[in-house]
Amino acid sequence: MIILSKLTDIFEYLAKRHRLLPWLLAYVLLLPLPFVLAGLFNEYLIDLVNRICLFILLAVGLNIVKGFCGQVTVGHIGLYAIGAVTSAVLSLEPGGFGGALGFGWPVWLAIPTAVMVTAFAGLIIGLPSVRLQGAYLALATLGLGESVRIFIAVTPALGSSTGLMMIPSPSVGSFTLDSFTSYYYIVMTAALFGIYFSFSILRSATGRAFQAIREDTTAAAVNGINVIKYKLLAFVFSAVYAGLAGALFAHMPPGYLHHNNFTVIEMVTLLLMVVLGGIGNVWGGVIGAIVVAIAYDQTKDLVFYFMDRPIVIQPLVFGLSMVLLVMFMPRGIGGWIEDFQRNRRFIRRSEERLSGSTRNT
Amino acid sequence: MAFDLNSLLAFIIFGVTIGVVYGIVALGISLIYSGLDIVHFAHGEMYMFGAFFGLVLAENVGLPYPVALVGAMIITAVVGMLVERVFYRRLTRAGGGYTVAGMGMIICGFGMSVAMVNVAYFIWGAEAEPFRANLDYIPRLQFPGDIEVPESYVLTAIISVILMFTLHYFLRYTKPGLAVRAVAHNKDIAYLMGINVPLMISLIFGVACALAAAAGVLIGPMQSVQVEMGYLMLMKAFAAAVVGGFGSLPGAIIGGIMVGVFENLGAAYISASHKDIYAFLLLILVLMIKPSGLFGVEAKVKA
Repeated sequence: MIILSKLTDIFEYLAKRHRLLPWLLAYVLLLPLPFVLAGLFNEYLIDLVNRICLFILLAVGLNIVKGFCGQVTVGHIGLYAIGAVTSAVLSLEPGGFGGALGFGWPVWLAIPTAVMVTAFAGLIIGLPSVRLQGAYLALATLGLGESVRIFIAVTPALGSSTGLMMIPSPSVGSFTLDSFTSYYYIVMTAALFGIYFSFSILRSATGRAFQAIREDTTAAAVNGINVIKYKLLAFVFSAVYAGLAGALFAHMPPGYLHHNNFTVIEMVTLLLMVVLGGIGNVWGGVIGAIVVAIAYDQTKDLVFYFMDRPIVIQPLVFGLSMVLLVMFMPRGIGGWIEDFQRNRRFIRRSEERLSGSTRNT
Repeated sequence: MAFDLNSLLAFIIFGVTIGVVYGIVALGISLIYSGLDIVHFAHGEMYMFGAFFGLVLAENVGLPYPVALVGAMIITAVVGMLVERVFYRRLTRAGGGYTVAGMGMIICGFGMSVAMVNVAYFIWGAEAEPFRANLDYIPRLQFPGDIEVPESYVLTAIISVILMFTLHYFLRYTKPGLAVRAVAHNKDIAYLMGINVPLMISLIFGVACALAAAAGVLIGPMQSVQVEMGYLMLMKAFAAAVVGGFGSLPGAIIGGIMVGVFENLGAAYISASHKDIYAFLLLILVLMIKPSGLFGVEAKVKA
């Protein structure tokens, strides 16, 4: 706790000099991570870190629409799938394996296009939110998200059951970013920038409007906030995150995409990240993403035998922990963070008051 | 496919029968919604559990099919009440509907559904199991134009109608039914009238889960029984409930029939492999155009 406090002090000091400084420091600190991991453990961990970065992007994006704006969406994984498949199909060579579509675009063009397509899809997923609330919205988004997956699963042009293979990796000049280490720099940058951008949204007028809508839609409308516009904006923002994460996932080595990556379990994983992190808290979401992504990876192949029957334990654990989290820890890790921050503020104010009073007397 | 009237009629008949089953599950979802203002995301799993209980009772215990149906309904009702008591009450006490607890309830139901699927994996494994019911005493229905409706479909139609009228009678003409309706109307006033509201909510859950179980046992002989059957059923029942209007009981049945027919016609004339998407399409279409559904009361909005 003391170390954490000192670390926060350093970052707060830097933030006072310039608001970008702490982010730069974090970026520099994260730069040598793959080499440390490869040196201490093995290459596989770098792949895990890459996926954690993508999950962070997803969780932070989901937090915008869910935590900031209070719209319950369960179809986020569908947006992720749209981003991934769009980018993959655009960049694949025409006439690919198993009748898969391909346009042969350069990767650096395919990714932004995929993000834009996903943003548009987010707008469409957001449209029901104009008229629907709460449970209805959850239903509509769940339906949309699941139909995306089923659509991919039954359409040969989008990979269907075999999946899309040999998706090209991005390259800078003549250097192809097809190793875990080189790809790390792309996803890490994206994740860090995503977190920063999410804070920017939260602090801007747009973010305030989101929060007003979350607290009370009617009161927000009375205060001159264009509720429809901001609700849709929240969906578009989160769709941009999901699309970027999806596109980056598609081009990640080994460049293989299957609709099994977008099932209900992934949706549960994603929800669990946000719930564990505390709905509406950015850092909580990030920590939740890291914890759950590691747990997801560690338990993915965990099978144990019950009456000679292989049982995959992961969904059971994830589902139950979600239920228990909502029951007993509804504020999540974000609640702890808020308490921590409030305590620090309280201590600092008390110290200031004490020192001030001694100086006066 | 060439268009001919006979096959169209056949598709519609099968669509209606399967749709009635969707409607029964939708009835349960609608009932829970009107009682608690929450959507129960684990209802598909109740349906799946019901189907398995029915299978066990019919095949392993050796009960006749109708007895197995009733037995499965009772067991699933108990399971449903247990789940409600242990897991959901903590959340619904904080207020369902459009509160933050309502969001928690959706997430909780979602997690519950995944957990229950995997509990079922523990017990019954992943294989699809055929449900062989002896239905020889039911006549096959002959329609003009060589359309023959199998026994299980006839039975489904009969039992569905019985269930609907029983539910109607229960809600309309019995004292607990009156209490349930009072709770659905306004919980606070129901408390003041001396109604044991938590008990009634348990009862609502029990009835809803029993309906889901009945649907599961009815679908069993038509398709096979497997652990992952709940999820798609949930989506279709949701679609049915939304199309008919959430909280409206006749609407749920009519919505179910519409979903069933729409799905079967889509599978027949557009593309069979996209069959499972049509229900969602209908759902989204209705949500965009008329969110309150065909017969729905206007969505309650947090003031």
